[in-house]
Amino acid sequence: MMVDSSMTETAKVSPRAGPSYAGWIGKLVASPLYAATIGLIANSHKTRLVLLLAIPLVWIVTLHIGPIYQMARISIMDNYPPAPGGPVYTLDNYRLFFQEPLYFMPFLRSIIFAVCVTATTLIVVYPVAYYVAKVVKPENRTRALLLLLTPFWAGELIRTFSVIMFLANRGAVNVFLREIGLIDRPIILLYNYFSLSFGVIYLISLFMLLPLYSAIEKIPSSLVDAAADLGAGPWQRFRRVILPLSKDGIISGCSLVYLTSIGVFAAPLLLGGPNSTIFPEIIASLFHGSSDKWPEGAAFSILMLAVSLSTVGLFMRVVGGRTVKLM
Amino acid sequence: MRDFTQTRRSTLKMLAAGTGILAAPSIIRPAMAQSKVVNITTYDKFVPQSFIDQFQKDTGIEVRIRLTDDQGKQYNLLAAEGNAPSTDIVTVTGHRLSQFITSNLLAPLDTGRIGNWNKLAPAYAGAPQLSIDGKTYGVPLLAGFEGLVRNTEYTKASDSWDIMFDEQYKELTSYIVSDFLSITMKYQGTDGDYVTYEGKDAEALAATNKARDYLIKNKPQVRKYYDAGSEVQQMFVNEDIYVAQAWSGPAAKLIMDGHPIELSIPKEGTYGFLYSFNVVNNAPNADAAYKFLDAMLSSPEIGAAMSRQSGFASAFAGVDTVLNDKERAAMTLPDEQLQRIQFFSSKNRKMKNDMIDKASAEVKAG
Repeated sequence: MMVDSSMTETAKVSPRAGPSYAGWIGKLVASPLYAATIGLIANSHKTRLVLLLAIPLVWIVTLHIGPIYQMARISIMDNYPPAPGGPVYTLDNYRLFFQEPLYFMPFLRSIIFAVCVTATTLIVVYPVAYYVAKVVKPENRTRALLLLLTPFWAGELIRTFSVIMFLANRGAVNVFLREIGLIDRPIILLYNYFSLSFGVIYLISLFMLLPLYSAIEKIPSSLVDAAADLGAGPWQRFRRVILPLSKDGIISGCSLVYLTSIGVFAAPLLLGGPNSTIFPEIIASLFHGSSDKWPEGAAFSILMLAVSLSTVGLFMRVVGGRTVKLM
Repeated sequence: MRDFTQTRRSTLKMLAAGTGILAAPSIIRPAMAQSKVVNITTYDKFVPQSFIDQFQKDTGIEVRIRLTDDQGKQYNLLAAEGNAPSTDIVTVTGHRLSQFITSNLLAPLDTGRIGNWNKLAPAYAGAPQLSIDGKTYGVPLLAGFEGLVRNTEYTKASDSWDIMFDEQYKELTSYIVSDFLSITMKYQGTDGDYVTYEGKDAEALAATNKARDYLIKNKPQVRKYYDAGSEVQQMFVNEDIYVAQAWSGPAAKLIMDGHPIELSIPKEGTYGFLYSFNVVNNAPNADAAYKFLDAMLSSPEIGAAMSRQSGFASAFAGVDTVLNDKERAAMTLPDEQLQRIQFFSSKNRKMKNDMIDKASAEVKAG
């Protein structure tokens, strides 16, 4: 941070020279302690830097790292809330996951589900992002993007319930098919993998759309034109020019979608069926169950966090290691 | 972009904002402990809004409702708050009371502070489910049971839980796994309430596993495992399911609303429960809580409004005379069926909770 001399001069002016205040503020401003404190802050670059960094640091530590630290702490307790006499620390809660095959299937299901959802979202959203970034006229792009973002102005739960209303036996799809005489009995569209995937992709496609749009929009059209002039067909232009140059967007979008879909909870609860129970539901059942199972729930959450982050890290390293530089 | 010029005033503003953020937790907690506030954790539609409005107007006490849909969730959250609860009243079912009391989460009720205590129906005032060691722990509110619910337009009448496993209704049934495990045990002739299994772990486990395996075997029948009453109501309205195990309240509400639904108690029997309002140990606003409980019992109209909204039978005296015929019909069953209700006991809860929780997870994962 640069501090010019005029600013330093201003800061060195005694607080008493400023406007006078009535009441306790006036007394505070006139006090020597105030003058010393303000003088220290105003005259010291280092103090100002520390104060400036303190707020975001406190924010990150208390609201981001704090809850995860607490979760990790509970995960190694034998009981929560701790019994009188203080907590006893143990790794049994982690051991339970590896000893009990019951939990492994939903865990594996969650990872496979997240990978499939990420791949499908990429395939569905890529053409949309390309269309908005390259086909829509530049003056209409913001409007087109806003139009695509409209559903995201509503909350997650509202959008989930709208999916239920859409796919239910008496929902829009079945009513339409019945009205046009294609079916007599409703098709079961809800409470299975189809509704679950449909709902989750609908909920999180924004996380794929924005990074992809941003990456594709930056690709110079001249490069695509040059490839065409050199005889590259549409597929070759896509594979050799557009796809490599949009890799950053693909990596960001896939990471965001994967991390969100692996931990998604409300949508599977409302849209999933008896055979699509995924790991976050199992974790939630440990927190909500009749008995006190918060330590087990916390251990499973930490395991899930570790696996999610390491798979994304691996993905970014493998795929993102050869990012194409434009300049 | 304009350069940021740091002045004495901007530094002070920044410091004030930072202090405010850091001090927020200590400001929020005392706000919950104002004497003009009562914090209530309860189920959706248990407390009528008209009563809340009137109570707030009469007393100046603000009523803050927090919704729950599960006794386990409520217990875990309250337990996590320990000696500094942020809620004053919780809604506990009779059979869960011992779990809350053992964890020192509830205060015995001082019925002397509730002037309208005598306005409870005689059968419920000091009900055994709400009394432990001679102390009363709850104001009884609503009584319900686990019922068999079916859509009368698409299903045949049945006096047995068999219908839940009928191939004809493949992918058209629904239930709460933990509740239906107990009912399946009853259906199979074992003790789904675990009262007779005290000290007999192996026998209890065998009975639990038998019910669990039966539910896993019949999984193709199930459209969805649900948690909240509103979910099963929505599934019946959307015709996503034709048959379900459901609490009597949400089912009766569907009947009152004119849907083609029948609620019954099959010949194998079922389990019943009694909801009560309980004052939390170390409640930050205990005085306001007692005023709220007293006002709630003041008129049968309030009990009737609670029944109308929730569908459960009221524990307040004189409510029957306030309900209309349609409402009474929706909430009443023939005596022969009512006699099949066995109220959940508060004995041997730990064994039951542990075994049912594990088996529920296995059914879901299986």
